[in-house]
Amino acid sequence: MNVFFEILVSVLQEGFVYGIMALGIYVTYQVLNFPDLTVEGTFPLGSCVAGVMIASGLNPWFACLAAFLCGAAAGGVTGLLHVKLRITDLLSGILVMTALWSVNLAITSGSAVKAFYNQPTIYTSGPAALIPDSQNTLRALTVAFLFCLAIKILLDLYLKTKSGLLLRAAGDNPRYVVSLGKDPGNMKILGLMLGNGLAALSGCILSQREESADIYCGTGMIVLGLAAVIVGINLFSGIKFLRSTTAVVLGAVLYRGVLMIALQLGLPTNYMKLLMAVLLTIVLVANKTMPTGRRKRHVARTQV
Amino acid sequence: MLPERRSERGTPLLEMRHIDKTFNRGSVSELKLFQDFHFSVAQGCFVCMIGSNGSGKTTLLNLLCGGEEPDSGEILLGGKNITRVPEHLRSRRIGRVFQDPALGTCPQLTILENLSLADHKGKRYGLSRGINRKTIDEYRSKLELLKLGLENQLDLPVASLSGGQRQALALLVCTMTPIDLLILDEHTAALDPSSSKNVMEMTLRFVREKHLTVLMVTHNLRFALAYGDRLVMMHHGRLVLDVCDGEKDALELRDLTARFNEISVEEVDNL
Amino acid sequence: MKNFAKKLTAAALAILLSGAFGACSSGGSASSAIPAGKSGGAQSKAYKSIGVIEYAVNPSLDNCYTGFMKGLKESGYEKGKNLTIDFQNSQADANNAQTIAKTMVAKNYDLVMGIATPAAMALYGAANPTKIPTVFTAVGDPVGAGIVKSLAKPGVNCTGSADILPLESQLKLIRAFLPHAKKIGVLHTTSEPNSTASLKTFQRLAPKYGFEVIDVGVTGSSDVEPGMKTLISKKVDCINNFTDNNVVNHLPGLLQAANEAKIPIFGSEVEQVKNGCLATVGIDYVVLGEQTGKMAAKILNGTVKAADLSVYTVQDGKPVYNKKVMQQLGISLPKAYSSAEKIAG
Repeated sequence: MNVFFEILVSVLQEGFVYGIMALGIYVTYQVLNFPDLTVEGTFPLGSCVAGVMIASGLNPWFACLAAFLCGAAAGGVTGLLHVKLRITDLLSGILVMTALWSVNLAITSGSAVKAFYNQPTIYTSGPAALIPDSQNTLRALTVAFLFCLAIKILLDLYLKTKSGLLLRAAGDNPRYVVSLGKDPGNMKILGLMLGNGLAALSGCILSQREESADIYCGTGMIVLGLAAVIVGINLFSGIKFLRSTTAVVLGAVLYRGVLMIALQLGLPTNYMKLLMAVLLTIVLVANKTMPTGRRKRHVARTQV
Repeated sequence: MLPERRSERGTPLLEMRHIDKTFNRGSVSELKLFQDFHFSVAQGCFVCMIGSNGSGKTTLLNLLCGGEEPDSGEILLGGKNITRVPEHLRSRRIGRVFQDPALGTCPQLTILENLSLADHKGKRYGLSRGINRKTIDEYRSKLELLKLGLENQLDLPVASLSGGQRQALALLVCTMTPIDLLILDEHTAALDPSSSKNVMEMTLRFVREKHLTVLMVTHNLRFALAYGDRLVMMHHGRLVLDVCDGEKDALELRDLTARFNEISVEEVDNL
Repeated sequence: MKNFAKKLTAAALAILLSGAFGACSSGGSASSAIPAGKSGGAQSKAYKSIGVIEYAVNPSLDNCYTGFMKGLKESGYEKGKNLTIDFQNSQADANNAQTIAKTMVAKNYDLVMGIATPAAMALYGAANPTKIPTVFTAVGDPVGAGIVKSLAKPGVNCTGSADILPLESQLKLIRAFLPHAKKIGVLHTTSEPNSTASLKTFQRLAPKYGFEVIDVGVTGSSDVEPGMKTLISKKVDCINNFTDNNVVNHLPGLLQAANEAKIPIFGSEVEQVKNGCLATVGIDYVVLGEQTGKMAAKILNGTVKAADLSVYTVQDGKPVYNKKVMQQLGISLPKAYSSAEKIAG
């Protein structure tokens, strides 16, 4: 049973870290209606930025901030490509994602992996140091959970502000934003910056757990993020008082959890990607049997 | 950039001068829609615009709102040249209600959220609270005036309202902050007759209360006759009828249909 | 909603059940789900559990594993008798390796072993916060990868055997086989640190033997064949392999292209020569793996800590050549290597 507990804790911890990225995809895909592939590049961007900074001894919390800002910048480029140069949303994301490959390699000075074992990270320094080393799995879980919770709360607060409301309007009815005297393109850029900033932050935190950064960690992130959003919104929107943001984080935890459990049961790692696709298909089909009106209503709900 | 006050006495609120607009220039289907087109609307006037499809009504509205740019000519609002001003900036002083009820509000947002957003038009959308609890009562009273029962459903997403309710809300949202010109783009065309009537009455009420200048495009000849103090008919990018006040009141339905026929006959003659 | 509640409940139940089964199962399929090992105390030869991650499917790495098991057996740990092994292959996917590593650590094995740098790094990263020791093999630059502090004394709970290539001996070999060659072509994957490190050393040493190194950097799997074509077009006299996982995975394709152009490829390891490379002063990965196996046994016994056990590096390779390939290329065996091991090929 001890092993099960350890695995459960590990799953939860990872789920919360990926949950931050899922929140980013929630902003771009669900709120803004923008299918953004940039995250496949911004997730490792955050990882590499963190890797390089922590390896040179910089403060890990500062590295988190830097990762967020770099991710936001990348998202901003996607937005500019789409809004100013009128490149379609998918292509804009793909272009930036491709470019980021080289950017990430440049950041790590050409190596695919940047290790920073035994350097202070957010999991070992600062407030985390209050929990002793012997409880390191619980410590990791606590740090991941609190971080994710903080981000989620900040995002919820933001979506209730005037700017956040305008962002939601831009994704829902850009014409309406025009009639309000605002440029919906600017809101799109803002939303993309926020979403990708979160994705990069997620990559940064993951790399701190693994104590190494690598440029490949972004592959499959868009699928994971979309799956988390879709699973979360569809499965949990039936529950009253559960905000969409919480649902999305739970979706990430659940989706990742099912994958991990499948591996535990002996599923060869080769079939993991197949399982991911199958799970997502099941959820999408199940979603169709649910009346769309209800789903959308709970998605749109904000607690006044 | 845009005037905040009414134009001086005598100067029309809206002026379109020497407007040229050609579509598909240089190709086989080239269409010179507007050629040296002039149009002006006086302050406080309620203009009804009718015309067949393709007469240029929609293009005229788009030129006014900024969705399209004229090839040459100027558009002035309150004396200021707005020809090159982008659409979203023009929206601060020009309100527009569309034929499609889905365009005037945000379906996924609640009524309260839509109103809060609209109330803030023209100001900076920063990090302050999106919804101000103090204004909820204000919004309730505004909604009461619509007489649709919406004041008790502030938390309902707009998507669950009927077409007529959404248009009423769109009207309210448009006029919550002061505007110079209200454009009604066949805004009752997609509604059933009773909703249509309600929305028109509501429109009149708003116009009277806020002393708005209105340009209403409609296919409904009866509305065109019944409402407003000026009637214009568009055809192939020209004004073929322009009557106001007394002349307009004297017009009857058969006069309009006769004029329509005349134009069609002219066309046949010109072929 | 009813329909949906049913689905939700079904999903939740499925998850709980699989979780419960996962926890309690002690058999499962051959490649995973083994019981948590007892922690290693001073008891030697007690029942131990080891988690192994092989980075990619690749004969050189397979040799490592064979050697590892051999080394363990010679030191008294035999699979099935007092040892269980959880062997996983991460299919050349670093993310995969991370996932597997985390699960292995959660299962609290007595020791974890990584074959090749990405596997070793994933395992070390996961095991570092715990007391589980990590061993590795086929890691080109353990210090550069950050998993040990120095080769002489790792200083962390991780040690193993490194396949640092005896490049100078390799250059001597190439010179002997091709007395008139001037250009050596090299393909290296820019994101593999051991490959880049080898290249630097190679470039430094090559002029001593009268060679010019022509290098083409590739970034991924799809660049290897085009990179090969570029090298051939630059009229290299021969090609030399490093311990580059990406390049070595494509060996058959490279050999085909090289044979058409009648250019020999010098391998970095015995297995490559068996598969068609001309010769190497390469590393015997079985021996390398064996060393790691012996080190692992010592750690499991509790007689020594990983931090104090210096990393084993290959002292000198054993020259081997492929007779058939040599004859095909019309090259004669140099006198200095007449005692080299012949592989029929």
